[in-house]
Amino acid sequence: MRAMLLRPAASLGLLLVIAHVLIAIAAPWIAPFAPTSLLDTPLEPPNATYWLGTDDLGRDAFSRLLWGGRVAMLVAFSAGAVAVLGGALLGLSAAYRRGSFDDVLLRLVEMKLAVPTILFVAIFVTGFGQSVPVLIVAVGIIQMMGVVRTTRAAGIVLMEQGYVRAAQLNGESGPTIILRDLLPNVADLMAVEFALRASSALLLVSALSFLGLGISPPTPDWGLMVEDGMALLESEPALVLAPALCIATLVLGINLAAEGLADALGLDAARGGSG
Amino acid sequence: MPLGWMQHEAAVAEPVLQVRDLSIAWRGPDGRANRVVDGVSFDLAAGATLGIAGESGSGKSTLARALLGHCRTGSTISGGSIRLNGDDLVALSAPDLARRRGRVMAMVPQNPLASLTFHMTVGRQLQEVLRLRAGLSDKAARLRALELFDQMGLPEPEQLMGRYPHQLSGGQRQRVVLACAIACDPLLLVLDEPTTALDKTTEAQVLELIRRLRSARQGAMVIVTHDLNVVADICDRVLVMQHGRIVEQGPVAEVFVSPREAYTRLLLGAALRVEEASRAKPAAPGQALLEITGLGFRYARPSILRRIAPGPPILEDIGLTLAQGEVLGVIGESGSGKTTLGGIVTGLLTADTGRVVFDGAALAARRTPEQRRRIQMVFQDPLSSLNPRRRVGDSVMRPLRLFQGLDQRAASRRAAELFEQLGLEPELLSRFPRQLSGGQQQRVAIARAFAAGPDLLICDEITSALDASVQAQLLDHLAAIQRRQGTAMLLITHDLSVVWRMARRVVVMRGGRILEAGETEVIFRSPTNPYTAALLGAATRAARAGHPELIEANG
Repeated sequence: MRAMLLRPAASLGLLLVIAHVLIAIAAPWIAPFAPTSLLDTPLEPPNATYWLGTDDLGRDAFSRLLWGGRVAMLVAFSAGAVAVLGGALLGLSAAYRRGSFDDVLLRLVEMKLAVPTILFVAIFVTGFGQSVPVLIVAVGIIQMMGVVRTTRAAGIVLMEQGYVRAAQLNGESGPTIILRDLLPNVADLMAVEFALRASSALLLVSALSFLGLGISPPTPDWGLMVEDGMALLESEPALVLAPALCIATLVLGINLAAEGLADALGLDAARGGSG
Repeated sequence: MPLGWMQHEAAVAEPVLQVRDLSIAWRGPDGRANRVVDGVSFDLAAGATLGIAGESGSGKSTLARALLGHCRTGSTISGGSIRLNGDDLVALSAPDLARRRGRVMAMVPQNPLASLTFHMTVGRQLQEVLRLRAGLSDKAARLRALELFDQMGLPEPEQLMGRYPHQLSGGQRQRVVLACAIACDPLLLVLDEPTTALDKTTEAQVLELIRRLRSARQGAMVIVTHDLNVVADICDRVLVMQHGRIVEQGPVAEVFVSPREAYTRLLLGAALRVEEASRAKPAAPGQALLEITGLGFRYARPSILRRIAPGPPILEDIGLTLAQGEVLGVIGESGSGKTTLGGIVTGLLTADTGRVVFDGAALAARRTPEQRRRIQMVFQDPLSSLNPRRRVGDSVMRPLRLFQGLDQRAASRRAAELFEQLGLEPELLSRFPRQLSGGQQQRVAIARAFAAGPDLLICDEITSALDASVQAQLLDHLAAIQRRQGTAMLLITHDLSVVWRMARRVVVMRGGRILEAGETEVIFRSPTNPYTAALLGAATRAARAGHPELIEANG
């Protein structure tokens, strides 16, 4: 942790993430107005009451901005957790078993790479309905594939270690070896993967909302706000730029923090960033 | 003859190399400076050969690099001087140093494969040195390269020029690197562990070549090595280092015969002395525990190829027996198949032909839990044999719970007992592997193996990752617990002194076959196989230094 904070880029990233998380948590108390109530004439320009003006339905854009990260972050971080836990278990099982289990799993990962991400989520959402849990699972599965590859690669190296050999020779069961010997030794890799997957998931959720496949109105959400504001980009640029800036700073923050973490842990950032 | 020779003549009277009070500091990521070389001073006359001996971490390689004016990233020369032929290397600028490297001082790095570029033929690499450093024309460089290859005893230099590094054997690569280093006839030649990567037969040839080069050249030579046998073989003077300081220095004949410092005595104590009685205790006569007959093993090839051309045999027609409580040494160099043999007995690998009978029952590919318990293994690398995320106590208690069905409290009590038997403080049970030294880690690994209550223990090069001073201690503890528990042991190693110390019987392997087998004392004192004789010759040089009568008897 200290080694990580010694890097200015990493501290900046961590600061951005913490600021965003705090704002999202505190939004109900610090937002001047309720995010969904119709308050005034639509499309008021920014003024002393409505700092960013009102949107096309007359809601306070600033309050919606403060609220707008909550659901997206919930989905992104949950999906990141699903991806890392599921991906690590699958990846390490593949490294342990090898053979046909490994082959099938790798082909599945490759198949996912061949299918456009948005299309995959669109089919998933159409099939299971548009809700936050469905979104978490769909985005989690998408992000899981990269984690499978990195943890599998790390697991194959660990399988050659003496302590795994010794456990195998003693006839320890597969789950015991995976949970006791392999999993704890990829913990640092998983921490970095979590950060990278969460940032990538956030971008994906925002893009999905923008396309109408993600979070549904009237929930305040940055992706939705960008979509609503697109038509008014010329007259009211703040309605698009403000939420876009929020998405950008949060994603940037997570990535900088992840890179700093990877450096501090001695992991190759390029390895965590692929897939 | 190159022009450099004339200058060399003038330098003979006074030392070519004068190192005075040299200190090198290494700054860690936490910003703390660490002295890796501390106040080192020595002289080296032209034509002399100095051996720098020490264990890993003694600063010997750092010192060797400094002689070329080079420091690893993060380390700096913090004081002292290195005067080579009158110039102080510490004070010289980087371009001045670069101009001297290869011409005035040159180095032969440790790993010959890593120091040759793999996409260029070795001939071109040598000619490049000759063109850029010696300033020869293309044609002259080619002629000189051929001459150098010939001098290095490389066969058919013409053809060899067109080969790539991976097409050469380890010994040939080392010769090519040597040729590059002496191409410009440097005043000072530094060799870093010149024979560590080579097998003993090749080592002897390369050392012979180095000896010949030394007598043909006037320059000084520094040989960095952990192997006192190499020092005894080709050096005039020796410098023993520990923790960055010089412990002792002087002529080899003097230091090896009557070392003044305790540390030097300790290092020399590890040398093999076959004229003394073996310390290995005979086992009580017991019935046969392990019987191996006609064992063969090949690595599988993809199924289409297998029918046409099976892989090369790794093991062929191996037969040996081991009685209960007996220690059998298996000697062999890398590629001899000794590790494969251990892998088959433990069950990591399955043999293609032959039988392995353990306590009266043939071992199948799938072992019963009882067989797994009774055959345990200790691995070469102590750090990687313990789970870094688990306390070492956990690692030892695991087999106790798995095989003996002990509960947490009983297991922890038994683990503490095992620790004590191996000379480890029971407090260490709650440490993580990285908080222990290499010797302690290996003792924990041994404790884990004994926790299962084995009848047969396979030890695969368990001391080769450890320093000489730690090895002796580890082997004493291992011998004590082995005798106490009456466990039979298959001791696989390339180190003859380990076998001499531990095993009454020995098997010598080469190329997947057993060359010689019998009583250790008989075979070590009068080997009948020329290969065994060569191994013994190499391993007993340190003990013979300064005792010419022993050379007569054994060499």
